[in-house]
Amino acid sequence: MKKCQICGKPATVNFTQIIDDEMKNIDLCDECAAKHGLFEQNGSPLSVLAALGEAMFGSIQKDMAARGLICSSCGCTPTIFKETGRLGCKNCYKDLNPLIEKIVESSQKGMRHIGKQLHSHSESECTCGTTKSPPTHSGACECNSPECKLDKLKLELERAITEERYEDAAVLRDEIKNV
Amino acid sequence: MSELCKLLFRNDQTSASMPIVVSSRIRLARNLSGYKFPRHATHMELSRVGEICRSVLVGCKLLKEPKIFAIDGLSATERCALVEAHLCSIELSKSEFGSSLLVANDNSTAIMFNEEDHLRIQAFRQDLDFKSMWLAIGELDDYIAHSMDIAYDDNYGFLTSCPTNVGTGMRGSVMLHLPGLVVTGQINAVISAMQKLGFVVRGLFGEGTSAFGSIFQISNQYTLGMSEIDIISRLYQVIISVIANEELARKWLLKNRNLLVYDNIGRSFGLLKWSYTMGSEEAIRHLSNMRLAIDYGFLPQAWRAGLDNLMVNVQPSHIQLADDKQLSVEERDIRRAMVIRKFFEKIPSLKF
Repeated sequence: MKKCQICGKPATVNFTQIIDDEMKNIDLCDECAAKHGLFEQNGSPLSVLAALGEAMFGSIQKDMAARGLICSSCGCTPTIFKETGRLGCKNCYKDLNPLIEKIVESSQKGMRHIGKQLHSHSESECTCGTTKSPPTHSGACECNSPECKLDKLKLELERAITEERYEDAAVLRDEIKNV
Repeated sequence: MSELCKLLFRNDQTSASMPIVVSSRIRLARNLSGYKFPRHATHMELSRVGEICRSVLVGCKLLKEPKIFAIDGLSATERCALVEAHLCSIELSKSEFGSSLLVANDNSTAIMFNEEDHLRIQAFRQDLDFKSMWLAIGELDDYIAHSMDIAYDDNYGFLTSCPTNVGTGMRGSVMLHLPGLVVTGQINAVISAMQKLGFVVRGLFGEGTSAFGSIFQISNQYTLGMSEIDIISRLYQVIISVIANEELARKWLLKNRNLLVYDNIGRSFGLLKWSYTMGSEEAIRHLSNMRLAIDYGFLPQAWRAGLDNLMVNVQPSHIQLADDKQLSVEERDIRRAMVIRKFFEKIPSLKF
């Protein structure tokens, strides 16, 4: 059963509002719907959206403030993030991690990056133990170790599927099995 | 003519235009490792980041004839014109210090410095060629990652100032012309379905803007937990299905409401050809009907690319920039109607 997006009780009302051609869909319980004037003839639907934002972020923020979270590098806090909508620096991802995790959980598809890897410098060490070649668009190391070869083949397979080259994809799939 | 005007009023744009699709774009968000993100940075830090980005990118062989514009050195009209041309975001255009815009490769690549993130790398096309766009932007991204220390985390991927962009830092978006779905009243159902699939639908100029002329932007919501190729291929599939729905809606309209179609297109044609004053919203509405007329085959296909250019060139700041003196709203409306009449002098008559 769907839950009220403001208080978490079972939802009984689905509220839809189109603002600037964007459709907003909210599930609410009777109590919250009545509280925000949804059943009144002149009730402002915008107040429901504002309340929803407050409910979603407000509770996270109170929780974080109680834990005294602050970025040791730039001084950014959950309150500053709420005001500006932006983090201060890369270190915020470590020091404000409980906040980041909650935001990522509610707004992203997964919790881990599975896309292109960063190869920052040609001198850096590859996980296979060899020195990495200069960065390439494929995101794969150019050495011939089984780990890297497998990574490279997987990327090529993904690309072949995207480009609808199914015969190539079948060959690549077999090669992956052999590695 | 200023460098900016030369860039905005280009006449040699390729005519890769296609029905329903207005343009597509891939954007990557990247930050430098040792500096605060722009919104929290001091003026000195912003200047330093700007200098590093400029010095690395000016010499980049992947960028043909790069032009860099310091945003605080542009007038309000020039900034708005860059937004109208979709080269720059509204956020960057409002920047007060330390932001720049680099435009290169015949306007098909633009990099924003010190917008929400230190670097926003963008590639544009007028069709759905995501493959060439991804290869071009990926190569540029590799060059940047090789030349600068980029903020990256093994778990979260590319670190961005807003966690809604973290991971790939990638946003793919397609601008679609959907009058069929608007007129048949199906657009809200499509928007709702897009949202359920993890895509965001916005108006003509992105976040918080209206869908003038039945033009909508569809882009991916998720940037973490999906690979770039996965994001692009899902976006592509979704776009193809919206296009199929739009085609069905257009066929239905022509079969069941043909008089309405002819009347809307015919009125717009007449107004565009003969008006002596016209506001920008009204112009976009009628030009949108002309794009539909071309797609239906009532006008030759060859005019679509020119029409797309005209849709940008009739925006308020473009009209102002094309004139030497400051224009009032009324003068702009007169000037706009003149630009449109000139374009329509050459266009053949409608063939229903």
